[in-house]
Amino acid sequence: MERIELPQGTLDLLILRTLAVGPQHGWAISERVQQVSSDVLRIQQGSLYPALHRLERRGWIKARWGTSDNNRRAKYYELTRAGKKQLEVEEESWRKLAAAVAQVLENV
Amino acid sequence: MLNDLLYRLRALFGRAGMEAELDDELRFHFEREVEKYVKAGMSEDEARRRARMAFGGQEQMKEDCRDARGTSWLEQTVQDARYALRQLWASKTFAVTMILTLALAIGANSAIFSVVENVLIRPLAYPRADRMVRLFLSSPAFPRFPLNPWDFHDYRDRSRSFASLAAFSRSDMQLSGDTARPEMLNGFEITAGYFETLGVRPELGHEFDRSNEVPNSARQSIISDRLWRTRFGAAADIIGKKITLNAMPFTVVGVMPAGTEHPGNEYHAMAYGREVDVWSPFWFDGNPSQRGSHYIEGIGRLKDGMTVGGARAEMNTIMQQIGREHSRDNSEWQVLVVPLNEEIVGTSRPMLLVLLGAVGMVLLIACANAANLLLARAANRRRELAVRLALGAPRGRLVRQLMTESLMIALAGGALGLALAAVGVRGIVSLLPMDFPRVHDIQVSAPVFLFTLAISAGTGILFGLFPALQGSRTDPRVGLHEGGRTATGGRRQQRMRSALVVSEVTLACALLIGAGLMLRSLLNQLHLDPGFREDHVLTATMSLPSAEYKTDEQTAQFYKQLLGDLRAMPGVEAAGAGSDLPWTGWDENSSFDIEGKQPPPNEFFHGRYHAATPDYFRALGTPLVRGRFFTDADKEGAPAVVIINEALAKKYWPHEDAVGKRITFEDHPKEKDWMTVAGVVGDVKDKPGSVGAEPGFWWPHQQAQFRTMAVVARFGPGAGLGPGLGSDPRAMTDALRNEVHRLNPGLALAHVQLMDEIVEESVATPRMAFLLVGLFGGLAILLAGIGTYGVISYAVSQRTAEFGLRMALGAQRADLLRLVLGQGARLVIPGALLGLGLALGLGRVMESLIYGVSPADPLTFVSVAGLVLLVALVASYFPARRAAGADPMRALRSE
Repeated sequence: MERIELPQGTLDLLILRTLAVGPQHGWAISERVQQVSSDVLRIQQGSLYPALHRLERRGWIKARWGTSDNNRRAKYYELTRAGKKQLEVEEESWRKLAAAVAQVLENV
Repeated sequence: MLNDLLYRLRALFGRAGMEAELDDELRFHFEREVEKYVKAGMSEDEARRRARMAFGGQEQMKEDCRDARGTSWLEQTVQDARYALRQLWASKTFAVTMILTLALAIGANSAIFSVVENVLIRPLAYPRADRMVRLFLSSPAFPRFPLNPWDFHDYRDRSRSFASLAAFSRSDMQLSGDTARPEMLNGFEITAGYFETLGVRPELGHEFDRSNEVPNSARQSIISDRLWRTRFGAAADIIGKKITLNAMPFTVVGVMPAGTEHPGNEYHAMAYGREVDVWSPFWFDGNPSQRGSHYIEGIGRLKDGMTVGGARAEMNTIMQQIGREHSRDNSEWQVLVVPLNEEIVGTSRPMLLVLLGAVGMVLLIACANAANLLLARAANRRRELAVRLALGAPRGRLVRQLMTESLMIALAGGALGLALAAVGVRGIVSLLPMDFPRVHDIQVSAPVFLFTLAISAGTGILFGLFPALQGSRTDPRVGLHEGGRTATGGRRQQRMRSALVVSEVTLACALLIGAGLMLRSLLNQLHLDPGFREDHVLTATMSLPSAEYKTDEQTAQFYKQLLGDLRAMPGVEAAGAGSDLPWTGWDENSSFDIEGKQPPPNEFFHGRYHAATPDYFRALGTPLVRGRFFTDADKEGAPAVVIINEALAKKYWPHEDAVGKRITFEDHPKEKDWMTVAGVVGDVKDKPGSVGAEPGFWWPHQQAQFRTMAVVARFGPGAGLGPGLGSDPRAMTDALRNEVHRLNPGLALAHVQLMDEIVEESVATPRMAFLLVGLFGGLAILLAGIGTYGVISYAVSQRTAEFGLRMALGAQRADLLRLVLGQGARLVIPGALLGLGLALGLGRVMESLIYGVSPADPLTFVSVAGLVLLVALVASYFPARRAAGADPMRALRSE
């Protein structure tokens, strides 16, 4: 399967959307994105963790330490109320962008 | 936003915890990844290898996380600062040299800025001081002239420019009547609304109103907080009490708060900020249609929206009206409206700005010197920088690192400089004369602190930036390869360093010339014949209360008795008294007629008037040029006489002998009203720096009574009254006081001073200016010398091999000496020439500050050029000797 580089700014959206389902740790976030996108999208650890720190600083997600399914200490991230709002905003603008790009591709 | 800030703060202060968490988080991630690969059927080792590959550069990721936390900037700075500290610690001599030179330069700047800030920039201590103005009359002959009281009365009634307008006149008062010793108080007569104009309310009681201005109204006074506390025990019921001033009862109606600043005056001068202790009402007496005498000064507060120019125009219109109403020609006179701040600090501005410029040059030189040292150091650090570049440090990061070092040096210099400034400011204040504007306000204040911080940071950037850019440009391959020692590279740097030294020499040279000119000017002033001999002369002022000395006869009798007693004291050569002393702001003028002469149209004969007893001139040491001094025979009823000075004689009798000529002060003189010129005395310079004397004349004291007189006693050299009153100045002062009190124990003695103290005081400002500019010049040439030494020394160390070779090929020590000294000269001669040029260009700035010497004074220019070359010679001599001592074998082996 061929992989696609994540366009600028979509990483935050993907993280927020993944966390909308429920709190997750970093590894699970990247696994989930990879699975759901049928291996097309893959988040590099090198971008994932800085992004998580940045989102936390903005107050969109918050972190707490919990126990993972195999009984290990793991850092779980969850959406804050501001994060939910931000997700709506970003989803909306992404849909508009995708639709607009599709329209252009089909009609020009 | 708040969340962001809290997060950053937590990231900053919980840094260690966050780093540990990040490690845990990444380890967890890594292990899950490994598990995943194992589940997919890989061996443990294979799985780990794969996971590690997927992970990429851990450190880079952590760095990115730190960036994302938004604290990396600060963390890097702390890191840079730590690194810089280690570097500086490793080269302590370098660091100490840099910090000390910068501290001297920054400290000098802060000290001078303290003076400039407190004197020129800070608003005066009155509310809305920018609205306050002073009023004078002005004519071509008298640029600043006091006002006539009735003219002022008209200004006040008619003008619409002022929110309030008041006038004042110096009137010192003698306080007596209680148990303490009688005291002469600085005092002023003031019109109603004087304190309203100043914007100061009495802390007790009230100020005078117009009913107090009526002649012979009840005697009232307002006293200072100081007087209230020291003489009246801060009694709460002082208002309404009577105190004895000039032997008359005055009712206290007000007490002014501490720190009520005197706005400064020219006429019977007292400086801004000096303590005034007593104010009494000004009486508008005499005939309102007689407008000839001028002795009050005006002060006003402009209405909102009114400009100084507008007020001046209005006042001049009123002045013309007054002229028409009293059929006088007022066209000669302009009303001068001067902003109060301008009036107080205006004359000291050029000097202070020159000092600021000079000290700024010192800072520039220190910058150049620091840059020079940094460049030299950068040459030695090439390998270190090359290694860091090779290891992948971005260039920007290196520049930042080097700049952090420079800034730390500069800030350390600034901190030390601020401490030096605190000491320096005290030194400067002690050098300034008492009447220097706002001298009491000068201190290291908050703006000075900010200024120091700003110039320190600015200095650090200025001297650090170029070396940092240069240093970071090192090509790692070259830097590593060269290994430093035999580097011929850095030619660019060497050129840069030479240019820096040339500019240092240029500035130092210009500063030294400034100092030289000021020194010559000061010497001129010190050696100037002031028209009197100030050594061995004790002076004091006293005032006879009219309540006790009702007749002229009594006044004359008192002074005759006192002066006779003084003359009889052992060691006293001459004792006289006069209406005033030289250089104390006396400015009383009168017009007169000359027998057989007509003044040119619209002009009148005039001169400054004084009164003197027979021995006044002898005691002061003012020479008689023609005719005679006064004698005891020149008394009331005897033929009226005057003594004039040479300036007046030359002005009105340019080609004749003035002695025997007659003048009068009456419009319709009778025979007895004509006064004969009995003698001509030498000119006394009007002010210490004046070119000439104001034309003046003296009445004999017995024919023109003055109650307030300055007593002048000249002691013989044998009287133990050397410069500074010899061994015991108090003995002579006490002797004088005893003589006075033997005649009248109720009299106060004021301004007891040696004449040479008055002279000292008068040159205090130019002396301080010279000392400071001289100090700056010295510092500048020292720094320039160090710079020259550094560059030549480095050049010599680079050429060791060459010198060894030359020696081996038969060059003599003297050849090498000459070679290196020549290199020094090539640096310094262009610098010196540029410096001489700069000094010539700046001559105009100096012109107003120097006296009796041209701004292009050849002696000064030649001596400074010589001095600079000498310093250069010394600075290059030591490296030259090292070069000449080069051992050919060792030099060649070291290749």
